[in-house]
Amino acid sequence: MKAVSARGLVQRFGATVALGPLDLELDGGERLAVLGGNGAGKTTLLRLLATAARPAAGRLELWGLDAVRHRERLRTRIGYLGHQLGLYPALSAAENLQFFATLYGLGRTEAAEALELAGLAAVATRRAGELSRGQLQRLGLARAVVHRPELLVLDEPDASLDAEGRALLARIAEGRTLVLATHDLVLARRICGRALLLRGGRAAGDPWRFRILEAEG
Amino acid sequence: MRFWNAVAAVTLKDLRTELRGRELLPALAQFIVLALVISNFAFDMTPGITVHLSPGVLWLVLTFAGLVAFGRTFAAEKESGSLEAMLLTPAGPSAVFAGKALAAAVFLACCEAVLLPALAVVLGSPIDAQVVASVLLATVGMAALGSLFAALAAQTRARELLLPVLALPLWIPFVVVGGRAVQAAMAGQPIGGQGLFHQPLAVLLDFDILFLVVASLAARFVLED
Repeated sequence: MKAVSARGLVQRFGATVALGPLDLELDGGERLAVLGGNGAGKTTLLRLLATAARPAAGRLELWGLDAVRHRERLRTRIGYLGHQLGLYPALSAAENLQFFATLYGLGRTEAAEALELAGLAAVATRRAGELSRGQLQRLGLARAVVHRPELLVLDEPDASLDAEGRALLARIAEGRTLVLATHDLVLARRICGRALLLRGGRAAGDPWRFRILEAEG
Repeated sequence: MRFWNAVAAVTLKDLRTELRGRELLPALAQFIVLALVISNFAFDMTPGITVHLSPGVLWLVLTFAGLVAFGRTFAAEKESGSLEAMLLTPAGPSAVFAGKALAAAVFLACCEAVLLPALAVVLGSPIDAQVVASVLLATVGMAALGSLFAALAAQTRARELLLPVLALPLWIPFVVVGGRAVQAAMAGQPIGGQGLFHQPLAVLLDFDILFLVVASLAARFVLED
C-alpha cells in the first residue's frame, strides 16, 4: 500500500488554479523534495498532504484512506510544520511540547524525548519568545514529531537552521516518509531520494537537472 | 477522557499565556473602572436613580468588555499559526473550541470580579447573590456565542467589525433577561412578571444550555477549512 497516492489533485483559490492536476505516489519511507519558485504550488501541495486543506478536485489517499473523509484519523500519523511555527511565546519550550503532546493524547515522556531529539533540553525552561530563530525552528520541528508521525510534511524548515540544525532535520527524517519543500538543493539532495519540481502548480520535469532549476531562478 | 484532557489543556494554556503576558485583563479592568467613572459623571446618579440606571450600566460595560475579551480569543492564534497546529491534532475542533470558550468565560468572570465591586463603590449599587448569579449565568452563554463568532470572525479580514455585528444581536436575550433579574435584585423586589421574566435565572440557564449545544455543534464547521 502506498503511503501517499494522489490522482488528479487540484486546488483552486477563487478562479485561480494554484495546484494541479497532479498525480503523485510515495512508498512508505520514501523522501520527496518539492522544489520550485515562489508561487509554484509547493505550500498548497504540502497543506493538502497534511490535511490542513481540502482539495478542490481529485483524490488523495494516505495509506489507502481518503484524506478528506478520514482526516481526523490520519492526523495521528502526520506531522506538519508550515511557514508559521505554531508555538506560544509565553510558554517555555517544554510547556509548548507538553501542550501539543496532550492534544495527541500523549504524556510528558514523549514531549521530553522530542525536546531531547531537537537538542533543546538545555533551554527547556526558557520561554519560546526568548529563543533564537534557529532554536524556535528546532522547537517547531520537535512539535511536528512529538507524536512520532509516519509521514512528515515540512515546508521550508531549513530557513533558519545552522549546520547542526540541518543534521537534526536529516535525523528526524530517518525511517519516515518525508515531503520536504525547500529552495536548498544541497539539503534536498542530502535528505531526499526523489524530487518533484513544480511550475505553475504542475509537475515540470526532472528537478535534479540543474539547468531546469537554474532556469526557475 | 481524551476530549476533556484536551479541553483542560487548551483552557490552561490560554490562562497561563494571559497570566504571563498580562495583556488582556489589566486593560479590561482599566476599561471597566473608567466606564463606571464616566457613567457616574454622565448620569445624574442620585440615590433613587442609581437603582434604575445601574443594571443598564452593568450590562453595557459587560457587553463591551466581552467583545474585547472574545475578539482576541482566536485572532491572535490564527495569525501565529498555532490555531492550525492545534486543529491538526486528533483533539479536534470541538475540544479546541470548548477549551477556548471556557478560558474566555474565565476571563469574563475576572472582568465581573472587578465590575461588580466597582459598581458598588463608584455608583453605590447594591450587589447581592441574585445579581452575581444573573451575571455568572449570562457569562456562560455569552462566552459560548462570543467564542463561536470570534472563531468565525478570525477567518475574515474585517474581524474587528464582524464580531460585534454577529455577537451583539444574539447577546440581547441575555441582556434582556439578565437585566430584568439584576434590576429586580437591586430594587429589592421579588422576581416576578410574565413569561420569560417569571423566573429569569431559570431562563438564563435554559439559554446557556441551548447556546452551548448550538455553539458546540457549529464550532466544527466554523473552525475546519
